[in-house]
Amino acid sequence: MALVYLNTLAHGRSGDKGDISNICVFARDPNDYDYLKRILTVERVKDHFGNMVKGDIIKYEVDTLCGLNFVMKQALGGGATHSLRLDTLGKSMASALLRMKVDTDW
Amino acid sequence: MRKITIGGGQGFWGDSNDAAIHMVQNVDLNYLACDYLAELTLSIMQRQKLRNPEAGFAHDFIELMDDIAAVSKEKGIKIIANAGGINIAGAVKALERTVRKENISSYRIGYVLGDDLLPRIPQLLKDGCQLSNIDRDGDFLEIMDQVVNANVYFGREPIIDCLRQDADVIITGRAADPALFLAPLAYEFDWSEEDFDDLARGTMAGHLLECGGQVTGGNFDYDWRSVPRMDELGFPIAELTDDSLHITKAPDCGGLVSEQTCKEQILYEIHDPSNYVTPDVTVDLSQAKVEQEGANRVRISGVRGKPGPDQLKLSIGYHAGYKVVTYLSYAWPDAYEKAQHAAEILLKKLKRKGVHYEDIQIDYVGLNALHLDVAEMSEDLIKNTNEVILRIAIRTKEKKQAQHLIPEINPLQLNGPPGASFFGGRAKVTEVIGLWPTLIPKDAVKMESHIVEVK
Repeated sequence: MALVYLNTLAHGRSGDKGDISNICVFARDPNDYDYLKRILTVERVKDHFGNMVKGDIIKYEVDTLCGLNFVMKQALGGGATHSLRLDTLGKSMASALLRMKVDTDW
Repeated sequence: MRKITIGGGQGFWGDSNDAAIHMVQNVDLNYLACDYLAELTLSIMQRQKLRNPEAGFAHDFIELMDDIAAVSKEKGIKIIANAGGINIAGAVKALERTVRKENISSYRIGYVLGDDLLPRIPQLLKDGCQLSNIDRDGDFLEIMDQVVNANVYFGREPIIDCLRQDADVIITGRAADPALFLAPLAYEFDWSEEDFDDLARGTMAGHLLECGGQVTGGNFDYDWRSVPRMDELGFPIAELTDDSLHITKAPDCGGLVSEQTCKEQILYEIHDPSNYVTPDVTVDLSQAKVEQEGANRVRISGVRGKPGPDQLKLSIGYHAGYKVVTYLSYAWPDAYEKAQHAAEILLKKLKRKGVHYEDIQIDYVGLNALHLDVAEMSEDLIKNTNEVILRIAIRTKEKKQAQHLIPEINPLQLNGPPGASFFGGRAKVTEVIGLWPTLIPKDAVKMESHIVEVK
């Protein structure tokens, strides 16, 4: 079993709408997309973020782009100016997700 | 085949003007559209206008027009911007001054009014609108007295009205970001109300362009090192024909347009990719394709459209208290332990002095202030870290409660763990503005299009 950071297999970007953060994640190699789709479950993402994301997470799949989109509620400490976080807009949420360790033997 | 070329000149209020100027000078664009408004921008502008009745719009746009009004008029490039913010009349006046100063004649400034619904809130409630928050629970009546601004996101129609009246430039308030781009495309290609796929394609052009450099190599996670000449980052250009959409950028500038730069932007701030709701059309990206067709040239296809919503999004900003953020820096050895100890001292002091706060956040910049719970905090990393900045932020109901934190920070240089440095000047209490997104019926909104000509 070899563990690597998810960002070796995927790239992404995070954005905000109020207290909702969305992270889109794309397979760097289209051959890895099905694997990413399978292992990046809502439960696993929720577990990864722990207390950082307090609300529900919805996962969307866009196969033609080899991309996933995670929409996470109550994810930005209140959102915009409400949030006391340094990164109020969650610009670093994508890299926070992409540092998840994943198994490369599948 | 007929082709329309439109540039994206701004990603947000405060963005660089360099790329827009370069694009107008070097590319035969038909249109340049500039997005200045993020979610909170109008609340900030409303506060500015209260202090100064001539403020409340994006003055950066006037500065941009100082550079491009004459050349764009000469080249026939029409400009559309939601730079009017909360003071559209003020923006129009400022632009008139620029046009006169530049001696540009027969310049037609179009502007769109009607998105500011602050005075109409009582009537909306009377008409039976609940103004419920679409993101969370809560009763609007609880925040009604705290409302700062209320602006409705509107679509392409009033902008098209200005284009029909031969406007050289159009200034709006809270137009939906992609509508700034869709409007000229729908006008040029004469798309009807039922041309859903075309409207969706035009909206997607807008979505890809509205964040400026984010689709040309800025904020590019895939391989940021591969982006050439970021100091001269070019902004995006969309080329559309009757049935195609390409993203490219100006020649002779930095930046990159690739499959991956477009992918990272296509789902940016989109929730359900099959139902991206805008005032004009609901976009379905579930079959979207992004293909590299040449250097810095990407084809976007498979974008479908469905009828838009019956309701429009009204974005309400409201006063939600105060906050203050403070910092203290610590160096090796044991920087983290020292910073933690300082945080404990501060918490004890705040408790003893009876400071009430709604929320508190304690972070250690350099270790976990961005990735929070997800940051790697190994013993080795913590032990050997060169420096850490303690960051403490509190949110309070009353301003004076927030002020209590400030005088406690500076003394810790002398009265706490060794080597602390207080920097950045005395912290300032800032107002917290909350967002209350809600929906209202389309027919509750009456937009107006106007033209003023500078002879």
